Amino acid sequence: MLTCPNCGKRNVGEFSYKGSYNKRPDAAASFDKWVDYVYMDENPTGMNREWWYHGNGCKRWFIVDRDSMDNLSHKSQWFSEV
Amino acid sequence: MSKVKRIEKHDFISLPSYSDSFTFTFNGKTITANEGDTVASAMYAAGQQLVSRSFKYHRPRGLKDNFGQGPETLVTIDHAPNLRADTIMAKKGMAVISQNHVGSLENDLMAINDTVIRWLPYGFYYKMFHKPKWVWKIVEPIIRKAAGIGSIDTKGHAVDTRYEKRYRFPEVCVIGAGPAGMAAAKGALDAGKKVLLIEEQANIGGRSQHTFVNVNGCADTELNEISENEAGKLLMFEILGNPNLEVMTLTQVFAVYEDNLVAAYSGTDLFKIRAENIVIATGATDRHLVFENNDKPGIMTGRGVERLIAMHAIKPANEAVVVTTHNGGYHTAKLLHGAGTKVLAVVDGRSSVSNTKEVEEIKALGIKVIENQTIHKAKGSKCVTGVAIGSKDGKQSGESFNCDMLVMAVGYKTQLSLLAMGRHKPAWDKEREVLKITKDTPNMYAVGDINGYASFGHLYNEGFAVGQRAAKGEVAIEDSRKPEDNIMALPADIECGGDNHFICPCMDVTRNEAIGSIAEGFDQVETLKRYSSMGMGPCQGKTCHEAVARLTAKDTGLGINDAAPTTYRPPYNGVKLGLLAGRAPHLGPVKRTAMHAWHEDNGATFLNAGQWKRARDYGDNLQEALNVRNGLGIIDVSTLGKIEISGPDALKFIHFMFPGKFARLAQGKVRYSTMIKEDGIIFEDGTLAHVEDGVYYLSTTTGNQDAIEGLFRWWILTDGYEAYIRNLSGVNAAVNIAGEKSRDLMEHLVDIDMDNEAFPYMSCREAEIEGVEVMLFRIGFTGELSYEIHFPSEVGESMWSHIMAKGGKYHIKPFGLEAQRILRLEKGHLLPGVDTDALSNPFEAGVGFTIKDDKENFIGKAFLKDFKEKGIRNRLVSYKLEKGAQIPDDGVAVLKAGEIVGRVSSSRYAPVFGHGVGLAWVTKELSEAGTKIQIRCANGSDVAGEVLDHCLYDPEGIKLKS
Repeated sequence: MLTCPNCGKRNVGEFSYKGSYNKRPDAAASFDKWVDYVYMDENPTGMNREWWYHGNGCKRWFIVDRDSMDNLSHKSQWFSEV
Repeated sequence: MSKVKRIEKHDFISLPSYSDSFTFTFNGKTITANEGDTVASAMYAAGQQLVSRSFKYHRPRGLKDNFGQGPETLVTIDHAPNLRADTIMAKKGMAVISQNHVGSLENDLMAINDTVIRWLPYGFYYKMFHKPKWVWKIVEPIIRKAAGIGSIDTKGHAVDTRYEKRYRFPEVCVIGAGPAGMAAAKGALDAGKKVLLIEEQANIGGRSQHTFVNVNGCADTELNEISENEAGKLLMFEILGNPNLEVMTLTQVFAVYEDNLVAAYSGTDLFKIRAENIVIATGATDRHLVFENNDKPGIMTGRGVERLIAMHAIKPANEAVVVTTHNGGYHTAKLLHGAGTKVLAVVDGRSSVSNTKEVEEIKALGIKVIENQTIHKAKGSKCVTGVAIGSKDGKQSGESFNCDMLVMAVGYKTQLSLLAMGRHKPAWDKEREVLKITKDTPNMYAVGDINGYASFGHLYNEGFAVGQRAAKGEVAIEDSRKPEDNIMALPADIECGGDNHFICPCMDVTRNEAIGSIAEGFDQVETLKRYSSMGMGPCQGKTCHEAVARLTAKDTGLGINDAAPTTYRPPYNGVKLGLLAGRAPHLGPVKRTAMHAWHEDNGATFLNAGQWKRARDYGDNLQEALNVRNGLGIIDVSTLGKIEISGPDALKFIHFMFPGKFARLAQGKVRYSTMIKEDGIIFEDGTLAHVEDGVYYLSTTTGNQDAIEGLFRWWILTDGYEAYIRNLSGVNAAVNIAGEKSRDLMEHLVDIDMDNEAFPYMSCREAEIEGVEVMLFRIGFTGELSYEIHFPSEVGESMWSHIMAKGGKYHIKPFGLEAQRILRLEKGHLLPGVDTDALSNPFEAGVGFTIKDDKENFIGKAFLKDFKEKGIRNRLVSYKLEKGAQIPDDGVAVLKAGEIVGRVSSSRYAPVFGHGVGLAWVTKELSEAGTKIQIRCANGSDVAGEVLDHCLYDPEGIKLKS
């Protein structure tokens, strides 16, 4: 189950996962920075800040702080609140 | 085979009365069943004790626990193999057949494996047929054929079965509807919670359905001083009246996953249940006793026999011997006696039997009680004809009896599978002599016999209290059992091994084979299991895991805790792949276009495109393609993604999302564009139309529409564009009218100027057809003069019919997706995702013209710059084949001097030219027009292709533009 800030607790199948919450580099950033941004996701053990999309629901994006060890404890919030 | 029959009345209990009877067949033989019968109980009542043949030695097997735990009752029902006959309700007209024999079930020719040569001993696949290597190739098919269970129905009788996925979100989910499960449900219901109660069997009540001892000590005093059977019924009626309770019977929970996801199935429905709290009340089943010929038909467990009598009104046998270690055996003996079976003796493994009420009763009935002894062997070929008992160490023989049934009531093994499932290892509870899970899982509770045997009153109290705690999500309470409820665990496995002492009935592994494996060094439970294959059969250890652990401990000298069973993993029971797959390749709704019915009526075959059903063809895709080239065709393109982009920042947003420049895209104009990901890879293409001032209409492929909408929303959110998205994909239906005559038809349909100058290629117009506002786009995926008409879906069918009627004069014909794929290939148009993959950069794919990289910032800019600097290494090219050459499959290799230098991404026969065409990825050196390429077909033969400059059909685009 995942909590959507708009719809509440819903089955995780309603959502899609985009990846870690990373800031996009400036257009002028070095190519290495871009390679890092596109290919190097840290996938840490434990808490991680991620993007989720309620595609089969309210179609809104939000941020989830999720513990990858148990998938149970997580906190969802809007992008504007981060 | 003994004569079995239904009984009208029982000396001690009232029997269920069934009015309706019907018939089904077993191996062609007619079996009469009553309402409420399982397939197995009906067969038993009809005298069909022999149900199956065992895995390796083809030994006769029959009903044993009558609870669906072991492999004995595996049968094929109506072409579906490996169903457990004791869990399936009998239905009128079922065709049941037995499995795993050559010749008849009664005279299985393969039974020679048992009697003459045992050529598949333990560990045989590690030892035999190794050298020389070629031997395995010869013997493998023979072994596979000999050692197997049911056969898959290759004729596909079951393919029409429709499987569904369903969802439940109870506050408390109780698994198992025995006394403790019912009480837990009551506890949670009393606390005001929504409760889902799941039961594997047809009726709820669990063991109370066949237990008749008096209840006492129950917190609900109304249930005291009546029999457990009546108390169970009262409890059942009480909870069934509660509207907050949902009961699912004949529903098998096969796994409990992370986050309290309970997976269950019932018939053709798969249930995904998210429960806030789970109460596991799966109870216990009779222990598995290992002695000589312990697998013969006629040897049954105590509870299995009780179920036959109390639930199906069957007299199980003429003469029986009961082996026991606790009062339960006396209860079974009493039920047998009352049903008319002569109980020759109760053999009690306890060294001294105290004169409890149960024992006194049995003695009063004139039944002999023999203390401190156990069963040594069963005799008989296809069914038990006699037993021999003796001392518990197996050394001294005792009495022999001639009987047609042996009952094992030697205590219970706890059903820990769902509780443990990949999380915890069971440990041996010395005090209660059962396996137990000692660690708690949050929001999960265990009640009932799963914690060790207890009386009904005790189970009720425990269940109710835990149900109340589960309702509040409180920590589980420490369970307790009275000392007198403990049943000794090491009762009656006699010490000596033997060739016919079966530990694992699924894989036919005997005690001697286990001892032999241990002697070879496999002296840990984990290695022993893998080497001997004990517990690896259809029941996955449900029958034998406790016996394996217990006997391994005995045979290796390991402590009982070190000999704990191997990890329990899902699924608990076999699950049909159809259930897991569901009816559609996706979980979303199946989408049909507004014109779907017309396509169906006109003989269309359909294929899945994302969630959509698209008409593939109307019987002849080549002719459909030719109709477009030589006349006039129409295709339903309603499934295309259609996204409207508007708002003050619309153009700025488009400039960021797409690689091209659109500032000069005037209103009424359309442009082709690719979509590039941040990694510079092409993932989609489509047309972008400037439909109203500042409003853009994007037309994309069917499969990516939702992903693109999500992507747009993400960028609007993160970068703060004031742009608005409307996904009109399902809102608008669309058709494409293609062919030389399309302009003539359009002039009949709309009253705007259709002249080439007034409405040129790559432009869009608003118009009206029969009073409906429509958008017209002059674009051409097929390479012909063509118009796409977009209109509201609700008029889809009438609009289609109207166009077809008006087009009759021009002999308009529908064409399907397959014809369109041929047409676009003749024209050399790529399809993202078909002709491109996760490595396809747009320059190499030949769509570099859509990229204007002198923009300041847009998606993929950094990588596109890098690609440009690195230069072209491969190219996507059109090619043609010679007339008569074989058409290669999509995806085959392109070779040069024996080396793979590329691959074909799309390949079709082009009817207008009479030879094959396609698109292929080749190295840069091979990409020049006129280069000959060698394509290797899937069947190994090579065809020669010639690389084309651009495409074969109308390379100048004259047809499109005039």
